[in-house]
Parts: sequence; C-alpha cells; structure tokens
Amino acid sequence: MIAYDITLGADAVKITVIGILQAAGIFALAPLLTGVMRKVKAKRQKRVGASVIQPYYDLLKLLKKDEVVSEHASWVFQWTPWIVAASTMSAALFIPIFVPFSPVSSAGDILVVLGLFALARFFVMLAGIDTASAFGGIGVSREMMMSSLAEPGLFLTVFVISLTFGGTNLTSLVGAAAQSGVVIAPSVLFGFIAFFIITLAETGRLPFDNPATHLELTMVHEAMVLEYSGRGLALIQWSQSIKQLLLLGLMVDLFLPIGMPASADASLALLGFGAAAVVVKVVLLAVVISYLETRVAKWRLFRLPDLFTMAIASAMVGMIVFYL
Amino acid sequence: MQIPQPDIVALSSVALLVSTFGVVVRRSFAGWLSAYRYQSIVLAGSTGLIAYATGVWEIYAAAVLTLLVKAIVIPRLLVRVTEGVNDEFKIEANPYVSIRLSVLISALLVALSYALVQEILPSAGLDGLAAAAYLPVSLSLFFIGLFVMVSRRMALNQVVGLLIIENGLFLFTTALTNGVSLIIEVGILADILVGVMISSLLLLRMNQTFDTLDIGRLEKLKDD
Repeated sequence: MIAYDITLGADAVKITVIGILQAAGIFALAPLLTGVMRKVKAKRQKRVGASVIQPYYDLLKLLKKDEVVSEHASWVFQWTPWIVAASTMSAALFIPIFVPFSPVSSAGDILVVLGLFALARFFVMLAGIDTASAFGGIGVSREMMMSSLAEPGLFLTVFVISLTFGGTNLTSLVGAAAQSGVVIAPSVLFGFIAFFIITLAETGRLPFDNPATHLELTMVHEAMVLEYSGRGLALIQWSQSIKQLLLLGLMVDLFLPIGMPASADASLALLGFGAAAVVVKVVLLAVVISYLETRVAKWRLFRLPDLFTMAIASAMVGMIVFYL
Repeated sequence: MQIPQPDIVALSSVALLVSTFGVVVRRSFAGWLSAYRYQSIVLAGSTGLIAYATGVWEIYAAAVLTLLVKAIVIPRLLVRVTEGVNDEFKIEANPYVSIRLSVLISALLVALSYALVQEILPSAGLDGLAAAAYLPVSLSLFFIGLFVMVSRRMALNQVVGLLIIENGLFLFTTALTNGVSLIIEVGILADILVGVMISSLLLLRMNQTFDTLDIGRLEKLKDD
C-alpha cells in the first residue's frame, strides 16, 4: 500500500481557486469529448461526420426549444433532468481530473461519487417508466439488469484501487497514483481491465449500448430518455458527457498518471503541464475506445452478463492477488 | 518526474491469464483457437524472457520452437482437420457448467494457484528463482485447462483444454528448472503434435460413427 499525505501547503487560496477552475473545465470540456469520439467514429466508418463542437450547438439549440411533456407524466418526469444534472455535477466536484486536488474531497470519497451516479441513474429509470411508453419500459428493464451486474464489478474495482493506493479519498488516491507513477503489478492490471469494461458499460458504449441510435429495438439509455425534449434533454445529454469525461479522466489519472504532479502544491507551470497531459491522454483514450467501437457489434442483451462476469472475475483476481 | 520501467514479467503473466480466460469465455471453435494462439505467442515471449534472465541458450531455442509449433502449426492443423465437421459441433451451446459460472470458478482457480505457490515456494527453498512470478500463472493455466476439459461438452473444446494444460506444464518446467535439455523440449513438442493428430483422428472417427462431437451423447447405447 502506498501512503499519501493530503496536508496542503500554506497557499490554500490558490489551490481552492485551481480546484474551482478544474470543475468549470470539466463542465465546459465534457461535450467536446463527446464530439471528438463521434468524429473519430465517423472517420473510421468512412463518413465525414459532424464537427467536434457539434455537441455544443446541439445543447444550445435544445436549450432554446420548448419542452413537450406528456399529459400522463408526473413530477418525477419534470424533476429528473435537474436531479441528474445536479448529482452528476456534484460528483464532478469530488473528482480530481486535471490537478491532483478537488475542492470538496474532504466531504466525501469515491463511494459518494458512485452513490451520486447511482442516484442519477435511479431517477432516469423512474422517469423512463413514468410516461408509460413501451420503449421507456423496455429501456428501464434492460438498464436495471445491466446496472445490477455492473455495480458489483465497479465496487470490486474500487476496492482494488483503494487497496493499492490507500484509502477511498479521491484526492489522496489520485495523489498517490501520481506519486508512484505507472504501477505495473498483476493486481493493478486486472483492476484496470475490470475498470475499462465497467466504464464502457457505464458510459453506454458499444458492446453494451449503441449511443448513436434512435428508435431501434436494441437501445438502452436512449430508450429511457426518448420522451425528453428541449431543456430537459439538454441537461441529460450534458450530464451524460460529464459522466463520460469523469470516468475516462479517473481511469487515466489512476492507471496512467504520467506527467501529473504528485501534489497540488506544485508550481503553476507543473500543474498546467499536468492538466495538458491529462487532456491529451483522455483524448487518446477516447480515440482508442472509438476505434474499439467500430470493431465490435452490439452484443446480444443476454450475452452481456458474460462481459460483466469477466469484469467481476478480473477485479476479484486483482484483489486476491493483491493480498498474496 | 520519471517514467518507471514497465514490469514485463507482470505484463506477460497477465496477458497469459487473460488469453486463458478468453478460452473460457468464448463459445466458438475459432474463438478458442485464436485465444490459444495469443497464449502461445505470449508464452514464447515469456520463455524468451526466462532465457534472457538465466542466460541459457537452449531456452531461446525452446521459445522459437514453441512459437513455430504452438502458434502456427497446431492451430492450422486443427483448422484443417475440422474443415468437414458440422458447424453445430464447433460451438459450445450447452456446457455442463454455464459460461458465467466457469469464469468465476476460473478466477477462484487463479487465486488458488497464487495461494498454493505462496505456500510452497518458501518451504521448497526456491525464493531466489529468476522466474518465480511465472509459477502461479503456470499452475492457473493447468487448473483452468483441467476445468475446461471436465466442464465442456464439445470434444473440440476438450482438445483446447488439453493444449492449455500443456502450455501450463511447459511454463512450469521452464520457470522451475531454468530449462530442461533441448532434446527433451523437442521431444515434448513432437509429443504434443502427435497428441493433437491422434485426438483429431479420434474426433473424426467419433464424428463418423456417432454423427456428433457432443461428449454427453456418447453415454447412450447406440441401438436405443
């Protein structure tokens, strides 16, 4: 286990400002990542594809449009986008992506972040069945099956990470990872495999869910938010992008912390270099995932448990190997 | 800020285990074969690594032979032999133990082999071994191959299980003894080749006589 000390230097104000800037950066850059992934995928499929800033135009257009709400919908349907956005954005405050420090990390750890994600998902599922559309119901039942399988894998992976880097506090986890550099040990590698599979599932990428389809019998996440329009849809899409950036950034920071300064006390130049390195690495990871997406077809729904079992087994092996 | 050297032994042992899991999780003959091929390539690399660590030239030769025989000849041989077999028998549709449960059991077997090696190594006085990190991996390969053999219905899958067991044994001997003599290595490889030939011959006979490669149906009497 790698010990890491979170105590901050005298310059607490500077660090807090940096932490707030980091959260703003996550909110602002998340749609760009979605745009990059779509562009890479389009190029791989020999299409021109929309510009990488198209998600921003989409969000602006949706914000201007009126919202259509079914007359059968209850308050759950109207509140869900706000709850989803609020919980995802507060999760973003907890996760140090660009600098090894998050402003509120003393208030909660990685389990709180997972809980916030679960809260968002719970309300999306409620909203999906709220309007009583058949598509929503199908999507919700699939999402419930997938999330109940993804959660054990996710928690086992978190345990592997916590055991390796000490504790569950995200600032100390990322700091310890940055301090120790790339750890190549069987337990960490198995944890990485599990984290990768789970991230694909959580962000709804291809073997699990096709993020590009509409009105297709295989869709999962899109089926649940099918009834949304206007501002509600904009909030949900934005939250989805933020969640994607958070998970990819966390993966990069924990398993590939090259260039990340070990403490937020480092000079501004080092912090800036670390942040730029993170941006480059996240984009590279997104490109890799997009390439993978063009290589595989969506799996049959009832074969997905095989993949989840793979993730659970991998994380389990990682944890056991850690103790031996 | 320095970039540490990647630990090649850890990377290759994880790659070996992942390819073994590939055999467990996939359902088609082509899938098993490609997983076996990857495993053999990584195995040859690991053998080369052991050769580099010990400085014995015979192990280099064994690595090259492994690459040739296990990664190229045996997969091609198996594909060629099973060309005439009905596709229905190349897919593990209904194993005795479900795929998901087998993956979890394989994970437990990996844990078991790590625990066993942890117990055995200090008492056997083998702490200073150059390639001690490969011992638990080779044991896992052995156990998982054995498990694949007993838990699957299709004869082709059992042949692949046998090949995994053999890979595990090969890694075990190489890591433990720092290379047995080259004559023995060549003999073992020839043995494997002949073993695959004989088992594929048996498969073909079984296909002709019973019209199936499903082991479960062999228990029935023919004139029922």
